[in-house]
Amino acid sequence: MYNASMITVRLPQKKKELELPGPRRVMDLLADAGVRPTTVIVSQGKKLLTKDHRVEDGATIDVISVVSGG
Amino acid sequence: MKCKRCRRAEAAVELPSHHAAFCPDCFFVFFRRQVAEGIRKLRLLAPEDRVLVCVSGGKDSLVLWDVLIDEGYETEGLYIDLGIDGYSGRSKEKVLAYAASRGKTPIVIELAKEGIPIPEAARCVRMQECSICGTVKRYFFNRVAAEGKFTVVATGHNLDDETARLLGNLLHWQRGHLARQHPSLPGTDDGLVRKVKPLWRVSEVETAAYGFLKGIDYVTEECPMSGDATSLAYKEALSRIEDRMPGTRIVFYQGFLDPSNPLRRVPEDAPAGDVDRPADVDAEEGAGAPRACASCGAPTYTETCSFCRLRDRVRDARSLRAARGSR
Repeated sequence: MYNASMITVRLPQKKKELELPGPRRVMDLLADAGVRPTTVIVSQGKKLLTKDHRVEDGATIDVISVVSGG
Repeated sequence: MKCKRCRRAEAAVELPSHHAAFCPDCFFVFFRRQVAEGIRKLRLLAPEDRVLVCVSGGKDSLVLWDVLIDEGYETEGLYIDLGIDGYSGRSKEKVLAYAASRGKTPIVIELAKEGIPIPEAARCVRMQECSICGTVKRYFFNRVAAEGKFTVVATGHNLDDETARLLGNLLHWQRGHLARQHPSLPGTDDGLVRKVKPLWRVSEVETAAYGFLKGIDYVTEECPMSGDATSLAYKEALSRIEDRMPGTRIVFYQGFLDPSNPLRRVPEDAPAGDVDRPADVDAEEGAGAPRACASCGAPTYTETCSFCRLRDRVRDARSLRAARGSR
């Protein structure tokens, strides 16, 4: 359920979605989500976010893994 | 954080390995320069080349195709449908949609129609899917390129892929593989088409960011068969080193490619034929002068090529199963 006082962090490849308190920097959100920052790109809508970007409450961000195997 | 190039716009991509951060427009310039520099430095492509770009639907291959089109190369895309339930269909959709957006129609090979879909083939011959996939893809890359009179085959291997492979070869002291690992694999007069990896200077983060910012809709899910791929372990190790020491990957790989590096030479005690054998021939292939496969005519170092042997084994196993089932 949408929560305006939280940040929604979606990890589509892990089929996971987290609600984390904000406002916080991308790197702090990734640490809470257990994701190493250099293995992903982070987007908000059509924008890419740098790791020091501050994300506000109510926002939804996508964490997309860039590591391909095989 | 501001873009370090234009110093005006907000940065979208931060690259510690380059001590840089770029806004989208400046990142496009940076990325294309990196690829162009990689092509120029190792003379991977010439303006008159006809390039067969192998596309999987993932970020690297679609980004490669995009950059080569924008740089003015004559390209066609080749998509190989591996016959993996769900995943192959979704990947193919991405390739077709991207190609249509650039006014292209890719060449499509369907392994199910060729009698060798990867999951079934792996079950039949009891081999790792990735190993079979490599043999089959290499075969069709070359066959389609040779039949279509392409002068070069391009794949989307990036810096992370190449350094992971290098680490694996070093850890196992694969001297022959080390001597032949390179972003440019020469062709031969007897039918092996030259292969190049123009993205060798750019990382996975960079290709993903480029694809996202350019609006390229690539498949983000991993191949369901690649979960146990050893390359992932090497990638993770290198990624952790890169976290601590940004820029290590490119230094590692460029140092390896230095022509004076003794690891670039095939060892003197290598098996006969190893010295002259092109880099992209399967390890199980034999030695001596290449000849035409007795079954399909492709260049090989044995009576029949590794693809035909594999296809025959799959066919035999399928017949055996059918015979058992009818009893």
